[in-house]
Amino acid sequence: MKNHDDEVVISYFLKAGVFISLAFLVAGVIIMFAKNGGNGVTLSQISSYRYAYNHHIDSARISLSNIPYGLTTFDGLYFITVGLWVLIFTPITVVFIGWLSFLEDKNYLYVGMASIVLFNLFFAMLVIPRFIT
Amino acid sequence: MTIIIIILKFLSIVFGSIIAGFIGSLTGLGGGTVLVPVLTLFYGIPFIFAAGASLISTIATSAGSASAYTKKKIANIRIGIGLEIATTTGAIVGSLTLVTIDRVHLIFIVYILFGLVLLFSLIPTIKKIGAEIPPETKPDWTTKLFQLTGSYYDERLRQTIKYHGIRWWLGEIVMFFAGFVSGLLGIGSGALKVLGMDWAMNLPMKVTTTSSNFMIGITAATGSSIYWYEGYINLFIAAATAIGVLIGAYFGAKVLVRISNENIRWVFFAILSFLGFDMVFKGLHLANFIITFSLMIQFFISIAISITMITLLYIHTKRKEYKNKNGDKK
Repeated sequence: MKNHDDEVVISYFLKAGVFISLAFLVAGVIIMFAKNGGNGVTLSQISSYRYAYNHHIDSARISLSNIPYGLTTFDGLYFITVGLWVLIFTPITVVFIGWLSFLEDKNYLYVGMASIVLFNLFFAMLVIPRFIT
Repeated sequence: MTIIIIILKFLSIVFGSIIAGFIGSLTGLGGGTVLVPVLTLFYGIPFIFAAGASLISTIATSAGSASAYTKKKIANIRIGIGLEIATTTGAIVGSLTLVTIDRVHLIFIVYILFGLVLLFSLIPTIKKIGAEIPPETKPDWTTKLFQLTGSYYDERLRQTIKYHGIRWWLGEIVMFFAGFVSGLLGIGSGALKVLGMDWAMNLPMKVTTTSSNFMIGITAATGSSIYWYEGYINLFIAAATAIGVLIGAYFGAKVLVRISNENIRWVFFAILSFLGFDMVFKGLHLANFIITFSLMIQFFISIAISITMITLLYIHTKRKEYKNKNGDKK
């Protein structure tokens, strides 16, 4: 078993993910306040919960394909978006590293199980959204 | 002028999240369990926004603390990933259930469920079920097939502890419910995960708590992506809570090492049970059910009930400890 090195690698990935995400979140918040909002929404609209709730000012309005455009035009909300998605992907890398190390160990039962977990994760990300919206 | 108010609003959410992360990490329940009631009850944030912000913040705390545990090689990544099959499936079913409940405007059910889950997850935390090292059991067929073995170095006992898990199938069943609760309520549901590994699979407490910590992130990532597309995440709130909970959990972990006085934990249990009762009352209030007190009266009733309950529990536990001590002397 060479799982020992993997645990250290996983630990670094988790730490790096949190730091990158935190950097994007803080930058996004500062830009959002400096530019009084972003993505066509003013700061007072997004910050009043009732208004945002009734007018659907939420994550569903933000299209992930606009991220490159949002980042290059310094849109605070897209920086926050990247920060949150880095956070979502951080634990997924752990499963992926696990998958690789099971493959190296020729532990095919666990390669299969990690594949199911990865399948579930991407099913939730790519397939289900098409049905609920 | 308004921008100052909005900045203060943002900072107040950060502040609330720091407290939630702090209490969550001290009691071992995780940030989300405290954060959702705080956001809905005190900030008037709609439940779905609170759940969305909380679930995504749970990933931050899970990843933050798991990085420390995995490095020490206590968490069992193999067993964890194996159990994630059930938690991720549960998270998908749970978050789709929340979407359905929200669409038919029955969100009051979720408030009541949240309160009940919070109150029930206090029981194992208070009782601290399971000793550090579980009673010796015979390995069963799942132990060998799913390779449920491992070892870790215990710093306090100064020895390497070898362990094995049993009843893998029962663990998976409990984990499905843990994932379901996580997706439905927007929390990490660490208490249920610990129950699955400790009670069902008979794993040592250290392995259980640390493995559950890193599993929470994967479960929450599944639910969060569904929340994202359904529009449950308000970026203003989520940015504030993610930053706040992370700071709170960091300090909580630092303080946890130093706290020697068990009595302080009882104060936090009282706060948590208050939040649980108040969530139930708020749900009943929203439903226009039998109990329709004003929010203020609800608040005081919840405080009264939780103080009485925790005091009784405290006296009961202390009396038991006292009896045990005297019994030993004889």
